[in-house]
Amino acid sequence: MKLVSLFVLGLAAAIASAQGMPGHEMGSGAKSQSLPPMPANMPPWLAAPGADHLFYKAAPYNWSINRIPAFARDMYATGVGHAMAYEVLVTGKAPELETKVFGTIDWVLKNPPRIPVDEAAISPTFVRKYGYLEKVFDWAHTLHFQTIDVFAHPGWTDAQKEAEIERLWAFYSAQPYAITGLPMNMDVLDSFSYSKKFRTQYPKVNGLFWGYHWLQTVNYDMLYRVPVKDQLPQYGLIGERYHTEELYKTDRDFMPMTAELSPRFAKRFPQIANAFDNLHMLHDNVNDVLSSPELTEAQKQEQVKIAIYNVIATTHAGETAGEGIPDTVHDHRHPTSMPGMGWMKGSDDDEMYMSGMGWMNMGECSHCSIALPEGNVWGATVFAEGWTMTVRCLMCARDMAGETPGRAIIRAATEDPNQLLVLISDEEGNWTTNIASVVFLEKVGDHPECTDWSRAFTNLAALEKYVEENPEYKGTKPLSLTEWAALTNDTPDTYRKIDKPNPYRPDAPVETPEGGDR
Amino acid sequence: MKIINTLRHTLALLAILGTTGLTAIASAHEADCPYCKIKIVQNTKDQDNEVVLKAGNKRIEYRCLFCVFKDQKRYKGDLIVYAPSEKVGAPVVFKRTAGNWSGPEGAVILNTFTKHAQCSELSRAFSSKAAFDAYVKANKVVAPKALTLSEFIAVVNKPK
Repeated sequence: MKLVSLFVLGLAAAIASAQGMPGHEMGSGAKSQSLPPMPANMPPWLAAPGADHLFYKAAPYNWSINRIPAFARDMYATGVGHAMAYEVLVTGKAPELETKVFGTIDWVLKNPPRIPVDEAAISPTFVRKYGYLEKVFDWAHTLHFQTIDVFAHPGWTDAQKEAEIERLWAFYSAQPYAITGLPMNMDVLDSFSYSKKFRTQYPKVNGLFWGYHWLQTVNYDMLYRVPVKDQLPQYGLIGERYHTEELYKTDRDFMPMTAELSPRFAKRFPQIANAFDNLHMLHDNVNDVLSSPELTEAQKQEQVKIAIYNVIATTHAGETAGEGIPDTVHDHRHPTSMPGMGWMKGSDDDEMYMSGMGWMNMGECSHCSIALPEGNVWGATVFAEGWTMTVRCLMCARDMAGETPGRAIIRAATEDPNQLLVLISDEEGNWTTNIASVVFLEKVGDHPECTDWSRAFTNLAALEKYVEENPEYKGTKPLSLTEWAALTNDTPDTYRKIDKPNPYRPDAPVETPEGGDR
Repeated sequence: MKIINTLRHTLALLAILGTTGLTAIASAHEADCPYCKIKIVQNTKDQDNEVVLKAGNKRIEYRCLFCVFKDQKRYKGDLIVYAPSEKVGAPVVFKRTAGNWSGPEGAVILNTFTKHAQCSELSRAFSSKAAFDAYVKANKVVAPKALTLSEFIAVVNKPK
């Protein structure tokens, strides 16, 4: 009993101590009223004036992003947009952000550069004032680009690419500017006294920033384990979506998360997915600090350093994913089924609220609500309307895409682990395929077994082999893409809607167009 | 004629429901209307509410007939619209073929909503004027007007 009491006392003291430490504001929606104080153990490099510029890991795949020219140019333009906004924020021109500057950035996004642009050339004042921040940003952006380059490189197998991605992560993590790959509590990181200032004051430019983050995270499932020749056609749809919708959204509840948009990549490389989300959250923190007129220049410098401190790897050395102190900056919980995403506002185990889609369960098929298989396997994902959803089988993928307005992409497993099926549909659900000889098996049964009776095969011989091994499907007609695409089924009786209010704005009215004849 | 009509309605319903049985249609995610962004009112045992648009291989649900016709330009090919009527399981079927709309003879449309919060109740199709009259009386609809399909399209396309 004495031992238990000692343990409880020790635990309470540890939590109290952690909460008393700098940056350990409580989350759960409560916004802190005061600025976090400067930690005593700030890394010395944060005070060093030198540029300490780092560059790419030397590799044969560098600049392979240019194999998808439109995507590369759009990615290069995101850097220009960020730099322009930061320069304006630190030179007293913030009132022009939503008008003149928005127009200039928008022009750049519509006329993106053909090569990467040195951000210091666009934001010299910002880099002079916040050089230490630029080191963190630059280094993480290098990771962004090099991971993309690996996936877009035509010379390697998927296994080689995955091994190189792991090496890139180690290369990145070895530097002091590296952002932690641990999941972070996003609600805590968005609850400082200055939080949400930028998105409130500058919704259009914030929309652009979050649009960039959408592009920077949606691309990974476009690339991961997808043959290089099949990457470019997907960007036709994704790029159009980016330019027509995602850049101009001002009603997002929260920044786009990697696991929302590239769930397969986030599950396979959770540390990298977390690092990208933490990077993007750092962007939000910095935006909020720089757009807080009540802060002095010295306070802004200090708060930017604290924001960096909160997310860099050295601050979380020895800490473990899935553990930590709830509702603090050392809260590393994640959805059970998705280690590549931090704790979100209102999260409950695997359930999280996803902007544009509502409440989702990360461990279940988004169409039939049956649990997804254990491990890093998948039936398919569906990309439509700006979101990416994981589903158990081809039928769930098709029916979900068929019920959703607009063009869609299905990325699905076949019998060959090295051949991912990529289907792209037009507005009316007519699909094109990357595997000309694809055939489908669909013998509708109970949904818990849908991964058995709804499958894609790279060719008829493979389907026939499967049927031979599974005689219950004997006599089932192999379906061509056209035949398969024309099928449709009712809502699965296993589907379970999670009916909870939007945790970000439970009472917000819905804005709708007017209509009628009166 | 009555038998033919019944058969036609049954076939239309089967076309919507697909292969797994005669249960009511519901979106897998009970999504918001693609046009007005308000939650789609689900069918009940007494009244159908979901408007279903069939465009190629897509089967998209809308909140009301007005929303469908406002959003139709995004689709290039032929369309079929299954509009809830006065009778459960017997939608009024409108078709757009080569850009031209057609509907069943005698069908009329109510379209008197001022805000989209009311569109599901006040933008609906009926198989006949008599059915329209019964609905507006039962629901105390203010200033009801029975529109033909072409009159309805003119209303939808009227510049605001």
